[in-house]
Amino acid sequence: MEYKDYYTVLGVEKTATAEEIKRAYRKLARQYHPDLNKDKKAEENFKEIGEANDVLSDPEKRAAYDQLGQNYQAGQDFTPPPGWDQGFEFTGGPAGGNAQPEDFSDFFSDLFGKAQHQHQSEQRQPNFDARGQDHHARIVINLDDSFTGEKRQITLKMPELGPDGHVVLKHRKLDVSIPKGVREGQHIRLKKQGAPGYGQGEPGDLFLEIEFRPHKLYHPEGADLYLDLPITPWEAMLGSKVKVPTPAGVVDLNIPANSGQGRKMRLKGRGIPAKTPGDLFVVLQIVLPPADSEKAKELYKTMAKELDFNPRSHLANGL
Amino acid sequence: MNDDLLKDQETLTLREVCEHCSLDQEAVVAYVQEGLVDVKGNNSGSWRFSEIHMIHIQKASRLERDLRLNPAGSVLVLELMNEIDRLKKQLKFLQRQDNKD
Repeated sequence: MEYKDYYTVLGVEKTATAEEIKRAYRKLARQYHPDLNKDKKAEENFKEIGEANDVLSDPEKRAAYDQLGQNYQAGQDFTPPPGWDQGFEFTGGPAGGNAQPEDFSDFFSDLFGKAQHQHQSEQRQPNFDARGQDHHARIVINLDDSFTGEKRQITLKMPELGPDGHVVLKHRKLDVSIPKGVREGQHIRLKKQGAPGYGQGEPGDLFLEIEFRPHKLYHPEGADLYLDLPITPWEAMLGSKVKVPTPAGVVDLNIPANSGQGRKMRLKGRGIPAKTPGDLFVVLQIVLPPADSEKAKELYKTMAKELDFNPRSHLANGL
Repeated sequence: MNDDLLKDQETLTLREVCEHCSLDQEAVVAYVQEGLVDVKGNNSGSWRFSEIHMIHIQKASRLERDLRLNPAGSVLVLELMNEIDRLKKQLKFLQRQDNKD
């Protein structure tokens, strides 16, 4: 397995004091906590940071680790020599409360796992009934799925403890019904798909938080949708009727005369379909025709000459 | 399999929330007192929570545990994170329009 350099993980020198290690850990924990950091790797980093802290903040473990790792570098192939932990007594579980065996890397489990497993099997007696833990995951779906409701098969990567005690990343395929009208940030609960229970306890649930892939037309905000609508200067200034796409189909939109750039027009009830549907906000984007022909250039020159228009008059005198 | 979209109907009692989240009553009451969730009345026996409330309570509890916060701190962090997320999304959207030039 790979050697893990816990000092590098925490960004401290090998000579760091206990206080320095604590400070480094706390700062990184805040940065990578999965509830605060939506980055894909945040959770993985958070666990690694926790593991590094677990070892380096425990004098016994740190001493053993230091002795062991004198000649190794991160990523190198590594096997613990037999009897390496003679003379060291590791007590109890991690500092982090609810950690499960699969939360730790192979490296950690191999070196310190025995005490870990003992501690944890002490906690779970066979005659102790408790509901399994809930699992949380985020799934990315298409906005269109929310317009119609869809059944989708998703694949989740879940760490599990394999038969030999090593952590394996298991791919779970799940069939999920995406409800019509679901919004970003909402949760779908899959009953009993979480961690198994203890004793007679039921398994926990799996909560899936919804995230949308970027859509080529619409930008969702809650139940509302935003659509950039390119229009011509004459459509904007003279007013016009244009066709606009909506989830339910194309509709006509009346653009009032003298509409400015960025004007938002609300189409009530044409947002994400639901019992109480959101609205569709059409944002007018006035696009200038390019002056790429003689005719076009002439027309622009005419406008410059005939229209008495100075957009910089408010900036300063004489501009 | 019955897939539930988490509802905002308030049907769970304090006891059920504690059991489900593996928290003791004191912990959940503390979140109520911080205003994390909107429950009516002073009598904890008559409080009713929704599943969405429960998700918020679980999040606050994880932050408390992992970052050594107290209830007031973890609720503040959650509220600030929500505001930050909202602003980030808005900013992304506004910048998208700028890039059209």
